[in-house]
Formats: sequence, structure tokens, C-alpha cells
Amino acid sequence: MPGLIKHQRSREAESWLKKEIAEQRTRYRKIEHEMNVVIAPKRDRWFAEFLENIQTRGYHVHFNMMRKIDPEEIPKKPKRKTRVVY
Amino acid sequence: MARPHIEPFVDREVPFKKMTLPGFPKGMHYKMLSLDTDTGACSMTVMFEPGYELPPGMSYSEMELFVMTGSIEMDGKQHGPGTYVCLPAGVHLPAMKMPRGITGLLFYNYGEPSFVESDADHPHGEREKLIKVNAYDDMQWTSTNFFPATAPGCLVKILKFDERTQAFTFVYCMTPNFWQDNISYHDCAEEAYHIWGTSWMMQFGDLPTGGYFYRPPYINHGAFRSKLGILAIGRTDSQLYNHFHFNPWSTLEENRERAGARLLAWKPDLYKWIATGEHNHPTDFEFPHAHYNEKGERIYHHHEGGDLDHNHGQRRPPAAKKRARRK
Repeated sequence: MPGLIKHQRSREAESWLKKEIAEQRTRYRKIEHEMNVVIAPKRDRWFAEFLENIQTRGYHVHFNMMRKIDPEEIPKKPKRKTRVVY
Repeated sequence: MARPHIEPFVDREVPFKKMTLPGFPKGMHYKMLSLDTDTGACSMTVMFEPGYELPPGMSYSEMELFVMTGSIEMDGKQHGPGTYVCLPAGVHLPAMKMPRGITGLLFYNYGEPSFVESDADHPHGEREKLIKVNAYDDMQWTSTNFFPATAPGCLVKILKFDERTQAFTFVYCMTPNFWQDNISYHDCAEEAYHIWGTSWMMQFGDLPTGGYFYRPPYINHGAFRSKLGILAIGRTDSQLYNHFHFNPWSTLEENRERAGARLLAWKPDLYKWIATGEHNHPTDFEFPHAHYNEKGERIYHHHEGGDLDHNHGQRRPPAAKKRARRK
């Protein structure tokens, strides 16, 4: 594989990795909950403002090219829960 | 699983930890930003204590270093903030001193962090790929040159570009009062760290100084805002294409499906050939060695059923042939 020289991973490195993976799992769970659950009501308001802005000021198609979105083009909120962290 | 979706994460909220891996001299501290659970590849904020010294040495994995504060003495020169080094696996660097210490970012790209004392390159080290540049002093801001592009006011300096995968590392900024009213996703993974400043994304809220994300492909992000502007460093693992849209509720699966449909619309002939050809694994005549490791041995690559026993015409890369002849 380019970018990696084949080598034997030491026992210390294995144990360091195991610990870091466990800490990352905890960090991920916290972020996932904060983003998908805790700030969800706030985000609903941001989404509503965005959908309003693209109808009035416009949607960025490319660089400074903007297009005003017609009301009938606006997507409807699905029944499922919104997920932003996967 | 490679790296999970870490977004947002603010490193100011966690303390530095001592680096305890063998090989690294004492005085190195780190905060883990994200980690590949299979390979150990990782991104870290690092702090080297005043007086830290590193003997000549190399890493088994490709490594990228970006200096945020302080300076490194190397080769009789001072390398201050903005210094970027991409050190290919097995390529050694001379001794380094950090009299006043530094803070920076360290990325190990294909394996766990390693340091091996050595005053010579490993036989497989690719020295021609070494990059040393000061992103602040030696380079100027350019527009993003993507199509479709980010809104005016987002500027970049490209530090590293991989010809084959089009993965790149870049410094970027947003000018004060930057705004972009669309939602984006990419076919590549993307990560970024805020060296200075706060920006806002509609899904995740504010990302301040010390803010970081590692985002796998096809995940919505944006609209974007920044009141005072930002300075940041970013990386991708392959080509970055801005799939813009305005549906805030689309899922990762729907986004990927859309990207596939768009590929069919943009490159119908290629899509058809890949999808329906007898041989579904295209090879690149510029990179035939992608099927081989440094020793010329065949390595795993995509085929239905993981079949390695096949011929693409060119059995071995030219370098491997030469090596074989020498034996």
C-alpha cells in the first residue's frame, strides 16, 4: 500500500489503539446524541429559515449564481426523525 | 468501520494527553481528533514542550504536520507558524528542535503513529513525494476552482494533491460575513480543523476555534455562515465534488443514490461500461501498480467475490520487474 511501510505493530501500540478506540466510541455517542437529539428543535428553526431564504434571496447554484426557489419546489418534512450524524 | 462521523468536536474542551507510544521522546502531548479503528491512522492536535528535541527519524506511515504556533529548528532554519510538511512513509527527516515548543496538527494517514530513529531513508521510502512549504508566507489565496464552486469569499491554498485519487490537503479561509445558502455533500470523506474563527453550519451549529470534524461521504452540511471569518485546514481522501441541493431532510442513502444517478447522467457511456461490462474493474494505465504492493506482490482490490486471480495485461509494474531481474 502506498503511504505505509510494512511493519510489526508493537504490543504497546496495540494497547494504545484499543484505549483510543474505546475513548472515540464514547466521544461519538456523546456527539451523536447532542446533534441528533438535543439540538433538533433548534435545527428545525434553522431549516425553516433556510427554506424561507432560498425563496426570497435565492439558492447558491454555483459561486455567485443564485436562483430563487419556487414554493412548489420546497421539500416537505418527512415523518421520520431527522438524522445529521451517522 | 474506518473512522466514525465526528462532528462537531472542539479540542479546547479536552486536556492534552502524554504520548506514550514507543519511539517518541518524552515531552509530546496530543488530543485525538479522529482515529481509523482498523488501521490506526489518525488526526491529532499536538503540543511539544519547550526544549523538545527529536532525533533524525522516519515514520512507517505517511505523516502530515502543520505548525500552528511556535517554530521548529531543522536544517539550520526556523520553520514557524504555517509550516506544512508531508513526510512519505519511510522518508527520514533530520533532527528537530523546538526551543519554545510548538502546537500543531499531526495526521498519520495509513497506519498508527510511529517514530523510528534513522539517519537514512527506508528502501521503500519515496523521497520525491516529500513536501515542505510555509502555507502562510510562501503561498497565496486562490478561489476554489471547483465546479460548482463554493460562494465568493471561500479561498484556498492547496498544500498536497494526490494525482491518482485527487485527495488533497488545503488551508482555507472564509472572509468576514461569508454566507452560502445551499446544502452540500461529497463522494469523499472530509475533515477540517479551525485554526482560528467560528463558522456555522445548519446541521451542526457553531464550530469555533479548535473546532474539528471528520465527515464520511454523502452527509449533508450547510447552509454556511461566518460573521468574522475563519482560517482552517482541511483534507479529503479522494476527489471533492460539491453535490449541492436544498432538501435538508435527505438521508445519506438518498444522497448516495442521487450521486449514482448523477454519474449516469453525466458519464452515461462510462457508467454503462462499468455497470454492465464483462469486466467490472477498470484499471488505470498510468497507475498499473495499484494492483501491487511495493514488493510487486498482488494485493486485494475490488472484484466481485474478491478474485485476485486475473490478468490485466501488464502483470507487474515496471519497478517491480526491475527489482525481480536484479534478484
